[in-house]
Amino acid sequence: MSVIGECLIAFVFGSVVGLLVQRSRFCNTSALRDAMLFKTFRNTKPLLIAMMILTFGFTLFLTFGEGKAMHFDVGLNQVVGLFLFGIGMVLAGACTVSTWVKAGEGNVGAMWALLFTFIGMFLFSLLWSVNYWPPAPISMTGEPNLEALQLGFVNARTLQDKFGIPAIVFGMVQVVLLGLIYRAILIKESAQQLEHDQVAAAHRANMAVNTKS
Amino acid sequence: MNFFKKTLDPTIALTLIAVLDIFLFLLVGAWTVGGGETMITGLVAELFMGDELSRIPFWSLVFKPDAGYWKIYISLGMLFGAIVSAVLSKEFYLRIPRRLSEWVMITLGGLLMGFGIRLAFVCNVSTFFGLTPQMNLGGYLAISGILAGAWVGSWIYKKVLEG
Repeated sequence: MSVIGECLIAFVFGSVVGLLVQRSRFCNTSALRDAMLFKTFRNTKPLLIAMMILTFGFTLFLTFGEGKAMHFDVGLNQVVGLFLFGIGMVLAGACTVSTWVKAGEGNVGAMWALLFTFIGMFLFSLLWSVNYWPPAPISMTGEPNLEALQLGFVNARTLQDKFGIPAIVFGMVQVVLLGLIYRAILIKESAQQLEHDQVAAAHRANMAVNTKS
Repeated sequence: MNFFKKTLDPTIALTLIAVLDIFLFLLVGAWTVGGGETMITGLVAELFMGDELSRIPFWSLVFKPDAGYWKIYISLGMLFGAIVSAVLSKEFYLRIPRRLSEWVMITLGGLLMGFGIRLAFVCNVSTFFGLTPQMNLGGYLAISGILAGAWVGSWIYKKVLEG
């Protein structure tokens, strides 16, 4: 595909996502933060649904060698990097998607967060140019490189090639696991609802006694 | 139109996004944001620094500034889509953080996000909508990191709110 074609598709995809996220107020940050802080799951449930659909779709196509999977070595830097990111997104009150979407709604705080995301990336580029860690993609081998704290490249397709079991089978296992997390949330929510109803009923009963006396 | 009056169910929104993301995966690659943002950083830095930028090896070995990098246009698209959507639903207005503590948290948060994305090679979007559904080992490493980070972040956030 031509470069312009790729950019055009990316732009159309981005525009639709921007529209849907703006209208639904979905936020990846609150999907994690609200679940931990307030035990509410409005954004956690759709995130799980999307991950189930994507796991099915991606592993299905990977089984047949289709699709453009992300391909680079992974290791300790994913854990540390996303740990820092996780703190940052809660402090900023927005993740990568919602900074763009909220900026589009005229949120100056989100624009400020974006600006400092860029500055953070530039600062990292200075640090990388001193210690060259994590390894640049051109020096990645796909094999574990423990000296550089890298574990190599593994995904549903490499599992298929190694064990002779179709990628979709591994995918379905993951779909079921995600489904179990989803189910646990539903159970938790109905327990919350029950408690809420009981408190409300007790409150009403109290009110009734008070008004009589 | 009703679409721009009522809040859309996030499950419907994310289901549509997931289906579109599968098409994107087949055509160019799964949805991601961090890579495009890095390229924007590089292009802006090049604008200010010119050839001086080549003295920082990162910008020649890892990300060579290139305006034809498709991931940039996902970000620009999200901004465009959100502006159109906010204007049509009459939700576009300037919101400015009031308290100094908010400005400090947003500044620190932005820096941590940018730094973290580059260290990890991935952002939260690639973690949840790219790597993990491809069952890439990096997805599970990233999720364990982001969960721990969100927990620590929530703890700080709570302290600031209470303090």
